[in-house]
Amino acid sequence: MKPRCADYTDEIMSPEKVLSLLKRKFRKFSDTMELRDYRGGAGTDVGYQTLWVQVEKSKFLDLIDLLRELDFLHFHITSGDDIGEAVQLNYHFSLFRCAGRGKRLGVTVTVDVPKDDLVMPSLWQWIPGIEYSEREIREMFGVDFDGLPNKALIFLPEDWNEDIKPWRRDEAGPKPEDIRELS
Amino acid sequence: MAEGSNKTYKVPIGPVHVGLKEPITAWLDVDGERIKDATIRPGAIHRGIEFMARDRNPIQIIYLAERICGICSFTHIMAFVRAVEDAAKIEVPARAQYIRTLVLELERIHSHILWAGVACYTFGYDSAFHLGMILREKVMDVLEALTGNRVNYGTGTVGGVRRDITPPVEKAIREMIDLYRNEFGIFYDVVTQDHIAKARMRNVGVLSREDAVTHCALGPTARGSGLRVDLRWSSPYEAYCDMDIKPLVPQDHTGEVYGDVFDRFLVRVLEVYQSIDILENILGGLPSGDLMWEPKLPKLLNYLKQADGIGWGIIEGPRGDDTHAVKLTAGQENITWWKVRAPTYANAVSWPIMFRENDLADSPLIINSIDPCISCMERMVVTDRSSGAEQVVTKADLIERCRDKTRRMMGS
Repeated sequence: MKPRCADYTDEIMSPEKVLSLLKRKFRKFSDTMELRDYRGGAGTDVGYQTLWVQVEKSKFLDLIDLLRELDFLHFHITSGDDIGEAVQLNYHFSLFRCAGRGKRLGVTVTVDVPKDDLVMPSLWQWIPGIEYSEREIREMFGVDFDGLPNKALIFLPEDWNEDIKPWRRDEAGPKPEDIRELS
Repeated sequence: MAEGSNKTYKVPIGPVHVGLKEPITAWLDVDGERIKDATIRPGAIHRGIEFMARDRNPIQIIYLAERICGICSFTHIMAFVRAVEDAAKIEVPARAQYIRTLVLELERIHSHILWAGVACYTFGYDSAFHLGMILREKVMDVLEALTGNRVNYGTGTVGGVRRDITPPVEKAIREMIDLYRNEFGIFYDVVTQDHIAKARMRNVGVLSREDAVTHCALGPTARGSGLRVDLRWSSPYEAYCDMDIKPLVPQDHTGEVYGDVFDRFLVRVLEVYQSIDILENILGGLPSGDLMWEPKLPKLLNYLKQADGIGWGIIEGPRGDDTHAVKLTAGQENITWWKVRAPTYANAVSWPIMFRENDLADSPLIINSIDPCISCMERMVVTDRSSGAEQVVTKADLIERCRDKTRRMMGS
């Protein structure tokens, strides 16, 4: 199937409409939703917007499905942190990146992955470009991705002790003796 | 190794060379000279920069971010600084925005000319390579006149810039614009009009528009496949908000899209002209005013210490969009976390598709075509699994193979 990628000739949804659609479909999380506006330059009123939303893990795929209906969900990167009880992941996406001047809408989806069940559904089957990032999150945080075919290490060396998850802040993270200070 | 023997051999290319900024290993499955499949393994020199940053404040990280890449160092610090400004809600003065844009465009010019020159060198067109390097010196001189450095400029900071455009610098930039208007066309012509150069790049390393979309290709790699993507257009930031910049795609110039190395070449050399126009616009419309939101560093750091939230900064760098995300926590001097996604991280996912059904001799060109670091090619080991024999092929051998193909095509 051809991926839908809105061209500059296509009609697209405005950021405000995307926000209200999300608020309607995911009412429970509407408090977490935020639309940020960026303006620059000396005089014009041109810029772009980004949308921020946080959902529970069980609703993550529903949200992705909804976003995928609007346009091809271009993936930038997954960032994250160990926040104690959970590993918090932020998926940074773009909608409408080919749709015109100032039309791109950045979308950040935040989801907490509880530490007693460190598994997320993989988005690889819809967005093959996500492969490296899922492999990175897997080796750095120990979050597994259900449906990702290649789970080999990507940035860590072949002889890495895989029990150590470099970005974790708990007992799974690197201990002081694992860290070599360069000074 | 005869083709069609239904036996594939694994050929690793990479991973490290002393001069690398982005080392990568490509395991190529070859049948004779044809590449059947490829597996990419990055990470040979993962330096843990994001981990190191956890012990640093945003101003210190600027100098760390600048050292992620030697070519697009300003792109990285701009993406980081914009992420911090997003999290801390800082407004940048208009003059500083214009100077930032100016340095970004100067960086794009030197990166694109470097790439185009090295691409010619890869297939043995040394005179074009030398011409490219001579032309590139001019923009390097301008960067040195503006910032004092040829590589890491130390020019951007949170809330503004640290260097101003003085009359001598403006004169140097205008001289550079004149030089490129008059001379860059020669480089463009000697490569695009050369039949051998065109034959070496046409239909090599093809990436279709569909694959560019699904594999999240960026920058000239995506534009070469006919995809209209350019953050300067789709998400204008800084001075780009005052300029209507159109993404450069091959179909607008040649009427068709091949998505091959030649199209990527075309996009990059045409973008040099686009950048020259942007520079002229910037000099013509440079607003007066402050250079920094807060020039007193302790005051700025104190403000950043109160900030709380996640910031997201994206910049259209020479290779594609550079994404940085940062988390600041109120009461903490250091950042909580920082994530960097350089363009090659995304573009490398498309490599296996570009490699398929191409010649082994074209592999340096294909690797080069997304503009990573060609020095990845320092060595490669050819393994014959049936006999267990190993043979080390050096970078020089591989380049020689690539040039041999050019000679064969020239019939000499």
